[in-house]
Amino acid sequence: MSAAVTAPVAIRVHDLHKSFGPLEVLKGVSLDAREGEVISILGSSGSGKSTLLRCINMLEVPNSGTIEVAGEAIRLKTLSDGRSRPADQKQVDRIRSELGMVFQSFNLWSHKTVLENVIEAPVHVLKRPRAEAVEEAEALLAKVGIADKRNHYPSHLSGGQQQRAAIARALAMRPKAMLFDEPTSALDPELVGEVLRVMRGLAEEGRTMLVVTHEMGFARDVSSRVVFVHKGTIEEEGPPHEVFTRSKSERFRQFIKS
Amino acid sequence: MDIKFALETFWSLAAALPLTLELAATSIVLGSVLALGLALARLSGILALDLFARVYVFLFRGTPLLVQIFLIYYGLSQFPAVRHSIFWPILREPYWCAVLALMLNTAAYASEIIRGGLLSVPHGQVEAARACGMGRFMIFRRIVMPQALRQALPGYGNEMISMVKATSLASIITLMEITGVAAKLISESYRVIEVFVVAGVIYLAINFALTRLVAFAEHRLNPQLRAPLAISAELKGEAH
Repeated sequence: MSAAVTAPVAIRVHDLHKSFGPLEVLKGVSLDAREGEVISILGSSGSGKSTLLRCINMLEVPNSGTIEVAGEAIRLKTLSDGRSRPADQKQVDRIRSELGMVFQSFNLWSHKTVLENVIEAPVHVLKRPRAEAVEEAEALLAKVGIADKRNHYPSHLSGGQQQRAAIARALAMRPKAMLFDEPTSALDPELVGEVLRVMRGLAEEGRTMLVVTHEMGFARDVSSRVVFVHKGTIEEEGPPHEVFTRSKSERFRQFIKS
Repeated sequence: MDIKFALETFWSLAAALPLTLELAATSIVLGSVLALGLALARLSGILALDLFARVYVFLFRGTPLLVQIFLIYYGLSQFPAVRHSIFWPILREPYWCAVLALMLNTAAYASEIIRGGLLSVPHGQVEAARACGMGRFMIFRRIVMPQALRQALPGYGNEMISMVKATSLASIITLMEITGVAAKLISESYRVIEVFVVAGVIYLAINFALTRLVAFAEHRLNPQLRAPLAISAELKGEAH
């Protein structure tokens, strides 16, 4: 499961700063995710861990710093009022299509069936032939265990089923890396397991994954690296067996105890 | 009540039905285009556009439709510039004056209905579309608009019914639609009850059909609100 140190860098975050008004959420975060790595990003609420993830595909635009996806830096420009914006929206759209994102609140399109949700972007963004997209979508839905729900609308599914459909939707883009933003936090406790099982399966396939999570078990057992974000900086980082047993950070030891 | 007279009246009024329908349909269709533009202006985040749309809605929603019709039909022709403009062939026709007034008026109301529909689409769904690499226009066309329409439809149904009834005001500027013909029949026969009851029944029939049409559209557009079992049964039925 541990990626070779020599594997190419899939996502590189360098010296990322992000403020919301006067509130500085990220204070210079750097992080490399190599291909095949599964990185769990931990931290208490408000630590900036979700913002970090959302900056990677420009759902939040950082004030400064760089994001590279597969070696390509996302170009930013500074507006006259000091805010930054992507310099080339087409580039951002293309890079987004290469990153799969899974949200805390699933965010399935409620007017489309599960199958339509999964084929929407492959057909309309990647311009794949519809028949081919449907075939692949059905395989993905089978893989996440909801093939029988393909013609259901999201509102008729449980939270766990919706999240698995959302994972299938992200996978359908054949992403270079997957971003998970607290994928199990909105789920009833008994539904968490089915989503984590799917994610564990993806990790075992060798997919590059960045997972913002509160699931300590997942972080400890599945991820190749754990990153602990505290007050906008990376406070602790390392392989799970090291950081969970002998962390130098007092705050991290406090965090995993609670 | 004189049944024979009522029947005669019915046939006279029915002859005016096409004009009523035409007035309503034209102004609703043109008004919906303008309404969408106004709703987008409100949500554009561009101050000038937002302000323009706010002022527009304030003016056209805040003044009586009848006043607007008078201003357009009698008022505009007072200005030589209007009489000499390329719009004069249109603006001197009472039909187009009525359509213009109805359209401008319904656009004000409908823009608020559409704005509500657009705002009802959860932001997370837009974000998910962005995360898939969809551009702004594609998100609007494929994710936001279909859901906004579904949300806006019940309110828009109300507005369309209002418009059908509002076409009766066109009779004031000489148009012989249903109410115009009814007024003429009354001035000839002095039989107010028969004529207006028949006219009322015709409006009722139009709006009944319209209501059914909106309900049908709502049903067609909202498969996700129907029971899941019904959907799968339906799909199976199609497959065999």
